[in-house]
Amino acid sequence: MKAVLGAALALLLVTAASLALGVRPIGPSDYLDMMLAFDPTNADHVALATVRLPRVLGAIIAGGALGVAGAVLQGITRNPLADPGLLGINAGAAFALLAGGALLGDLDQTRVAMLTFPGAALAALTVFGLAGGLRGDTGPMRLTLAGAALNALLLSLVTGAVLLRRESLDMMRFWVAGSLAPAGSRPLAEMALAAAAGAILALAIAPRIEALSFGHALARGLGIRPGRTQGMALAAVALTTGAAVAVAGPIAFLGLMVPPLARRLVGHRLRMELVTAFLLGGATLLLCDTLGRLVLAPAEVRVGVMTAVIGGPVFIWIARGLRPGAQA
Amino acid sequence: MTGGMTARAALLPLLLIAAAMLGLAWGQITVGPAALWHGAVSGEGMGAAMLSTFRGPRVATALGAGAALGIAGGLFQTLFRNPLASPDILGFDSGAALAVVAATAFGLIAPMSLVAAAGGLASAALVGVASYRRGHATPPLTMILVGLGIGFMTSALATFLMTLLPSNEAGEAQRWMTGSLAARSWDHVARIWIPGALLAAALLVRIRLLGALELGSDLAAGLGVGVAAARRGFVAAGVLLAALAVAVAGPVPFVALMSAPLGARLTGARGLVGRMLAAAGAGALILTLSDTIARSALTGTELPAGVLTGLLGAPYLLWRLSREMEGGGL
Repeated sequence: MKAVLGAALALLLVTAASLALGVRPIGPSDYLDMMLAFDPTNADHVALATVRLPRVLGAIIAGGALGVAGAVLQGITRNPLADPGLLGINAGAAFALLAGGALLGDLDQTRVAMLTFPGAALAALTVFGLAGGLRGDTGPMRLTLAGAALNALLLSLVTGAVLLRRESLDMMRFWVAGSLAPAGSRPLAEMALAAAAGAILALAIAPRIEALSFGHALARGLGIRPGRTQGMALAAVALTTGAAVAVAGPIAFLGLMVPPLARRLVGHRLRMELVTAFLLGGATLLLCDTLGRLVLAPAEVRVGVMTAVIGGPVFIWIARGLRPGAQA
Repeated sequence: MTGGMTARAALLPLLLIAAAMLGLAWGQITVGPAALWHGAVSGEGMGAAMLSTFRGPRVATALGAGAALGIAGGLFQTLFRNPLASPDILGFDSGAALAVVAATAFGLIAPMSLVAAAGGLASAALVGVASYRRGHATPPLTMILVGLGIGFMTSALATFLMTLLPSNEAGEAQRWMTGSLAARSWDHVARIWIPGALLAAALLVRIRLLGALELGSDLAAGLGVGVAAARRGFVAAGVLLAALAVAVAGPVPFVALMSAPLGARLTGARGLVGRMLAAAGAGALILTLSDTIARSALTGTELPAGVLTGLLGAPYLLWRLSREMEGGGL
């Protein structure tokens, strides 16, 4: 419990720091002013309400959602290298977003954003189907390589589509590395709901996921249907990942880094791990975003690049500890 | 029997010639063989312009870069005795690409081949160091996983550096990062063919050493081979070949991965020299055809070659994975 409180405290601290730090220094009194008496002509108030506050909220939603998604994925695959970004699930969601936007024309932002969910679900099913994950024998090597292949395939499709339409390299850049800069224009409330639904689903099936890790035969003996549990787990992953991509674009490595950290804090208890992963995921992504805003100010380092730079070494550290040949 | 073998040996060269001819003739503007021939003989007209300025250097670069990638892939797959080991999977290509993008972003004036070579060697060294554990022989699968991680990281960094470029250059860089052969000149042809041929010749001289290593480290050591030094030498040669290709064609995905198996299937080659030659030919074939189709198939739009090799290579990688799984190799 102490660990969960600590994680919550960390999230609060990072939130406060992120709200206060920036190119334009803003103190707590300005926030109070804005909350109590919003003045649309005051540039500070407008900047806070339309830029910085949505950005902080977006980081917490996306980071928390990815933390949960990573914990669920690592739970059902028993694979410490599982991450929605590395497995191509982010890419599936982002591809659905781009394809939908291009095919359907200028639809309502919120409706287009809903496409991330089927995109993420389809990608998750694909990568698990290809790597044999649904039979419960997915080694880290298979899953990671299948994810790399799916990522490459979708990247080629997107590159082709973007170059064909010639219009926006910006879409491409959004697709390649996630960013929280446009969070103000994204449907935050809807995505917060979706992420929450995914997280609640994950919490509800956490004991069954844990039972699966003893092997499918034993789980059946406990009255658990493995296929159904895996399906619900993938639904939770699709809901959380889809929400994160709709808010921030594809962000890799966060779902990889956060769950081991959470496990270190609360041990191998999936429910506690999920809660902690949500809090730590939000804090980590917010921290990465804040650092990205500050290191090269006034230029920005996209948050997706920051997570990759920090998460890459973590990936390598975990990978070299595995004995892939023996494990699979 | 002999007739069958000769026919099979002639298949890959014939395909290569056909691919090169197609690459010269087909495009947004189609130039017939007659016009090409006329241009080649007289040095005038559309055919001559295509041969000397537009498609000639492009096809020659694609052939050279594809062959270099093919040899590099075959070399790594032989050395690590794993069909998944190739410079693109191991992160060497993206290391080379990162170096090129960084040099462009920071305005470094240096030959791009050298920059790419330095980047490729650096990431190879990084993969080697990061997957090394004292007292254990590094399993190839660990190295592949670590290489994937390094590849993810370097591509993220390259994406970031691209955002620092002015937007017109960034668009160009994005294209190049996909793997593109647009606007190649005879200078590029020289930059891939001359050092590439030298490296390939050096490899040919030491091919028996590679054959000894392919038997496995223990056996090779038993044969009196200095295993560690020999491996380092071959890895460096492979990385350099891949980096040369990246410098002229960008990090085209999966060409190196697919070449050796395709070459072996097309030619039926068994010996090491034959397999390496087949890998080179298959790499040249894949890249030249991919580039030609990507830039010609859609009217009004030239796609970079990397889009097509990505679309071909990703399913191949998945198929390869399922094969490895069935064989119990993973």
